Amino acid sequence: MSEKVYAFRCTACGLVSYPKHAVCPKCRGETFEPVEIAGEGAVLTYTDVYALAIDYDTRYLRLAIVELDGGLRVTGQLLDESPKVGKRVRTTIGVVREPAGKPIYGLQFVPA
Amino acid sequence: MRSVYVIGAGMTRFGRSEWPLVDLAAAASLAALHHANLGKVPVNAVVVANMGAGRINRQTAIASALVDRLSLWPAAAEAVENGPASGASAVKVGYQAIASGMADVVLVTGVEMMRAVDGLEATDFVASLSQPEAEYIYGVTLPSLAGLFARLYMDRYGVERKHLALVAIKNHDNAMKNPYAHIHQPITMEGILTSPEAVVNNPPVAEPLHMFDCCPVSDGAAAVVLASEEVAAKLGAARVAIAGIGQATDTHAVHERQDPTDLKAVRLASAAAFDKAGLKPSDIDVAELHDAFTILEIAESEAAGFFKVGQAHKAIERGETKLTGKLPINPSGGLKAKGHPVGATGVAQLVELTWQLRGEATGRQVAKAKAAYACNFGGFGNNVVATVLRKEER
Repeated sequence: MSEKVYAFRCTACGLVSYPKHAVCPKCRGETFEPVEIAGEGAVLTYTDVYALAIDYDTRYLRLAIVELDGGLRVTGQLLDESPKVGKRVRTTIGVVREPAGKPIYGLQFVPA
Repeated sequence: MRSVYVIGAGMTRFGRSEWPLVDLAAAASLAALHHANLGKVPVNAVVVANMGAGRINRQTAIASALVDRLSLWPAAAEAVENGPASGASAVKVGYQAIASGMADVVLVTGVEMMRAVDGLEATDFVASLSQPEAEYIYGVTLPSLAGLFARLYMDRYGVERKHLALVAIKNHDNAMKNPYAHIHQPITMEGILTSPEAVVNNPPVAEPLHMFDCCPVSDGAAAVVLASEEVAAKLGAARVAIAGIGQATDTHAVHERQDPTDLKAVRLASAAAFDKAGLKPSDIDVAELHDAFTILEIAESEAAGFFKVGQAHKAIERGETKLTGKLPINPSGGLKAKGHPVGATGVAQLVELTWQLRGEATGRQVAKAKAAYACNFGGFGNNVVATVLRKEER
């Protein structure tokens, strides 16, 4: 399991998109190069969700959409005791789900 | 294209089913078939809307099973899976079959048995419609997408929790008048928001959304019988026409939308349905919206064109969407209180609207309803089917 998360840069027009599309939403190009998602940004919105899916034994999860510097938006888990819309955060990688004891790594956000 | 009419509509009470899946589907189907009073006119095709039987009920190919249970051989049969928009999608398939001339009579039945599994599994089954590697792996569920959406929307347009509560109170009130509704429980502003007990009565589900902002987990089935103009005329059926259907998709991951508060697929699907029907939003007398979460009733009513963006909560404050208001929304109780058996929902919306247009919605009838609109919202707005029905005078 990869411990990095990638966006995809269209080799024709340069648009970076996430998640993956087989065809570029802007120019319909079909070749991409992976770009590691890492860096700082701001919380666009967040929620504390108590209606959880399987694989979690916590009471709630704090999820957020973050707009990274440069404009790419990503969804992930927000590790912040005092969340606020607009607050600066940075990405980190951690275990975000563990189905049948097998860890899945993904994006988490911590205060910048 | 030939005109298509809804000549029969029926459903089971939503809630917890005592019957197995196919019997539940058969009960709604028979109610619609009896309502249509087909006599010797054969059913040419059966379309079943269902999202999760393969996973949660461990039964596949349920359209074939339903034809068999109803002894409708050799009618054509297929199931349509399009997430929570399966119901209106299945009606669209039936509509296309008749409009194209491939069939004269089609039975469309939506069914879901979500209470066959526990709450965690039911929530996860629905969550599996989210983007797998960019949403689902993080623990995203539908309530969480609604929570993320609600915070953005409420901040931008000044919508407060009291507005969400007004939607819930209205829909619970309407459901009290609907014997088919899952929830028969009147609620008050004090009970769910303003009293000290409200914190206990109405716990958070996905902040800023609380329990009374979310639909229940329901079993249920709903069915409509569609027919060509020739068959409808021969049977002397009430003239409820499918005047227009529109459908549109949007990005799978909500974060990828340029403006995540813009329900673009609702906007485009609705515009297409109105265009086909030759009607405007202001021509609509009654609407059923996909209020899986209260915030969605507000946002969809704007995206469909009934209110300007950012204005629906003010119309709700004025009571305009109540049964007695200018545009009654969710007279059935909506998903919030009628219940949301996912595959059945889109069909159930059209069942309610058919009854409304025929003047048969006893106890909650919207006076002189001639044109009706339904929004069936799939995914988290990434696949939406809008339908306009119109009563034609004979």
